[in-house]
Amino acid sequence: MRTQPSTATPEIHHERTFRRFTLSQRLEHTVIFLSIAVLLITGLPQKYRSASWSQELLSTPERVHRIQDIHHIAATVLTLEVLFHLVNAIVLLIRRKLPGHIFLTLQDIRDAGKMLRYLLFLRKDKPSFGKYNFEQKVTYWFLFISIGIMVGTGFILLFPVTLTRWLPGSVIPAAKMAHSTEAIVTAIFVVIWHFYHVHIERLNLSIFTGRLSEQEMRTYHADEFEHLTGEKANRAETGGNS
Amino acid sequence: MGNRSIFLALIPAGFLILIISLFQTQSARANELRQETEKYCLSCHTDPSASITLPSGEVLSIYIAPDTLHQSVHNTAGIECEACHTGITTYPHPPLEYASRRDLSLDYYQVCQKCHPANYQKTLDSIHAQMAASGKQNTPVCTDCHGIHDIRPPDQPRAHISETCGQCHPAVVDQYKQSVHGAALLEENNQDVPVCIDCHGVHNIQDPRTAQFRVKEPELCAGCHADPQLMGKYNLPANVYDIYKTSWHGVDLSVYKARWPTIWHDSAVCSDCHGVHDIRKTDDPASHVNSANLLATCQKCHPKAGPNWTSAWTGHNEVSLKRTPSLYYTKVFYTYLVPVILWMCMVYVALQVIRVTVDRVRRNLT
Repeated sequence: MRTQPSTATPEIHHERTFRRFTLSQRLEHTVIFLSIAVLLITGLPQKYRSASWSQELLSTPERVHRIQDIHHIAATVLTLEVLFHLVNAIVLLIRRKLPGHIFLTLQDIRDAGKMLRYLLFLRKDKPSFGKYNFEQKVTYWFLFISIGIMVGTGFILLFPVTLTRWLPGSVIPAAKMAHSTEAIVTAIFVVIWHFYHVHIERLNLSIFTGRLSEQEMRTYHADEFEHLTGEKANRAETGGNS
Repeated sequence: MGNRSIFLALIPAGFLILIISLFQTQSARANELRQETEKYCLSCHTDPSASITLPSGEVLSIYIAPDTLHQSVHNTAGIECEACHTGITTYPHPPLEYASRRDLSLDYYQVCQKCHPANYQKTLDSIHAQMAASGKQNTPVCTDCHGIHDIRPPDQPRAHISETCGQCHPAVVDQYKQSVHGAALLEENNQDVPVCIDCHGVHNIQDPRTAQFRVKEPELCAGCHADPQLMGKYNLPANVYDIYKTSWHGVDLSVYKARWPTIWHDSAVCSDCHGVHDIRKTDDPASHVNSANLLATCQKCHPKAGPNWTSAWTGHNEVSLKRTPSLYYTKVFYTYLVPVILWMCMVYVALQVIRVTVDRVRRNLT
């Protein structure tokens, strides 16, 4: 992520980088990424059991059970990750070691409005953003709710008999529908929204490296850059796809 | 010219005469034989006390009641004694070589295939034939169900079919008589309800305890219960099978049916809940699926299920606010959410791609 500045100077240039994600956050992303990939791969053949491609894959009853076991193992990993994420976040927030950048604010709605006007050619510049822009917050909170639904409904489907001691029976078919539909909604969202923003709009690998370059900070997180350094961001390429 | 056309016309005329003459001789022959052998045989076999003692000690009556014989399908069709009694061509008859009555039956019924080869072949594929092959002498052969000298149309009246099966399966037939199907047949002479053979087949009756039979069972019930006309007549829903197919049990079953029909599966089929021969109306207190008995029925497979469990069943009911509210709201929610998320993502990304491309082109031009 050490991109050379576009204006070459004769002096030696020290590229500054800025920490974006902690090691723990990067590991969390990896765990979520891998467990969701496994859950999707093992879940789709179960959702589409009536389809012949699924029946080709699940060629024996034993294989159905094995794929369900793998699904349950990955689900357990994801559940533990969700619990860690929540407990960790709450503890850090209480100890004031985690700034609440990720929470949605009124500013995000204003930013979204500005962005929409920009996209419709009603505005010349992109709005400037802080640590997380509204698109990234939408990504986080959409997946937060989505994973919440998947985990919740998943456990209803895993322990239907036990849970209907307290819950009405119709939550079981409801959980089945929600689990299987939410999975597709999430997959669509990740593929279109998240992949576009981190791969096509620009290749943003900071969730793996943990750092952003000065150039990226100035262009995409101008408000945070100015807050951290006290310098002017001077965003050169507002519509930038650098 | 004239001679030639007469000659040509003679050819089909000749054929016609030939064909008619073939029919003529055959029918003349049948009438002739019928008259002679039956009268001839009955001249001895109408003595009610005529009998033979077999080596097993059993007394075999050789009396033929003329009335019974004359009402049988064979007799009225002109088929006479010697058609079946092929071994008896002289008087005095050759001695009987059977140790018991059963021995005689097991040998004699073979003659049926002479005229009924298709049905005979089918019986070879039946559970009865399999059991006979394993050495069980009492498994039924043609004559056990159809009779001997008194063979009549087997389904007249239709209730006669269950009587026939009841000779060996009395407990099952007793259950059936009290079921919604059996009661309608016996009490109202209803012709729509199934009798034994509608589910089990006629000559190639299969073992109903196999995985193959089980996996096809809902389809069997659907033969009537998915017929809107037939169900409409009795004010019953005709969509029970279609909804079942989309339910947890039904989807599981469909995979087994498509891929592993010979592997036993535990997902519930119709008879697991409704009963087999004791199917009753759902509002009958004795029905397995009556609301009073439903939980106990579910607990056969889900032993720890509590009272809320029964409302989780969606295999026969459309999604409704009244019966399954949480499922109803979930369905409404996703009906809107899925397209909204899909379109929002696509439109937003498309707008971004357009804007970025336009900006880039503009920058390169200036």
